[in-house]
Amino acid sequence: MSYRIPIGPYHVALDEPYKIEVDCEGETITDAHIKVGFNFRGIEWLAQRKNITRCIALMERVCGICSNVHSMTFCMALEQIGAIEVPKRAQYIRTVVAELERLHSHLLWAGVAAEMIGFQTTFMEVFRFRERVMDLLEAISGNRVNYSMNCIGGVNRDITDPESVAAGARNIRDTVNRVLIPVFTTDHTISARCRGVGVLSHADALRYGAVGPVARASGVDTDLRRDCAYLAYDQIDFAVPVRTEGDVLARVVVRAQEMVESCNIIEQALAQMPSGSLNVGDIYAVPPGDAVMRIEAPRGEVFYYVESDGSDVPSRVKVRTPTFANIPSVMGMLKGNEFADMPLIQAALDPCYSCTDR
Amino acid sequence: MNSQQWQQRAGGNWISASLGEIRLIAQSMLERGARFEAFVVTQTKAGDLRLIWHWDLKGKLFSVESKAAVSTPLPSIVDIYCGADWAEREARDYYGVTFEGRASIAPLMLRESDPPGVMLRSKGGLQ
Repeated sequence: MSYRIPIGPYHVALDEPYKIEVDCEGETITDAHIKVGFNFRGIEWLAQRKNITRCIALMERVCGICSNVHSMTFCMALEQIGAIEVPKRAQYIRTVVAELERLHSHLLWAGVAAEMIGFQTTFMEVFRFRERVMDLLEAISGNRVNYSMNCIGGVNRDITDPESVAAGARNIRDTVNRVLIPVFTTDHTISARCRGVGVLSHADALRYGAVGPVARASGVDTDLRRDCAYLAYDQIDFAVPVRTEGDVLARVVVRAQEMVESCNIIEQALAQMPSGSLNVGDIYAVPPGDAVMRIEAPRGEVFYYVESDGSDVPSRVKVRTPTFANIPSVMGMLKGNEFADMPLIQAALDPCYSCTDR
Repeated sequence: MNSQQWQQRAGGNWISASLGEIRLIAQSMLERGARFEAFVVTQTKAGDLRLIWHWDLKGKLFSVESKAAVSTPLPSIVDIYCGADWAEREARDYYGVTFEGRASIAPLMLRESDPPGVMLRSKGGLQ
């Protein structure tokens, strides 16, 4: 029997408002349709009406999880237009904060995934563990969500106690290696729920334009930190985990391994961090020009196009978030799967609908 | 797509193309294994639209630029890159553009009853 099941946009099973309509033949999903826009805030429109200093604060509010990456990408685009050289110490601080943000984003996802699978205790343990990362971010920036670290030409705050941050990173890496990776890779129940479920082939990952861990779990060997190195990444040794299975388990494993690599990056960056200034001083406008800036955010590549006419208000700011690129691939992942696996498959994307809607 | 025609600037490789060439370029990008990045629309001071299709090929950015009047139908590349669907629907929401070669173009961020083109200066922006 064929039927269509509408879920959302406001539903107890959804973390954020969006709508998914699933066509089923019996228990098997034959098609899916996703509707977004329920969090539309018109941020691109607002950006053309605020000066660049206010725009930094605005961009930090595109996403509540990876807030830092948005203000950083916006600042880096303006720095490219204005040919502004960011001090080396500021580049290392940006690298450390970006990796801490990746850690807390991946841990948040690991907790949500554990709950979806039915592991309530793991969910609570992961969230307790995630607090260590949040404490490090709070110690550096004084904030837990919007860190306000970035300004045009550098950063606003220093890392005054790098050894304690490095010790925190070592502790997190140890726990991820000792607890998290074994749970997600060897537990029979997790394996049964995730292996072979929600497969996205390599060819489909390219056709849908998937990015980040979703693409890397489908064999697309891409990571801007390595392929198009920015900040201090060209001075740091790290691996890019890639899997070819394309299923939910591959996405779990890629993110778990990325957490270990993030800890390695933080340790190296703190060890290499030179002394020096944090920024180049106050900048209120950049010359006319445009720039594309792409950064490897926790969920994948974030894309900014910024156009300046020389005034203090940008003439265009285009924001394409990783989830915007990834959500269409869910429709490919769902087809042929059991309806009961739908929540886990869409969660395995690590979607953020608020930043998608902007 | 002669490699000599590409210019390096603004963080990538740029080329100008006519609207008639866009689908050929998209097909060529797909054959090379490029990933569709984004479709950016801006409005020039004269009121025309500046259109930029972006692709990533092995970590390098390739941007194809074109221009059109606001009412000009644009070529759709959805049948080549299904990931471009949302980008085209958002362009319709923001700048009211229409696309040739696709059956329908439902709003993405706006609701069915909202008029498209909220970013067009002539529309006065979001109300």
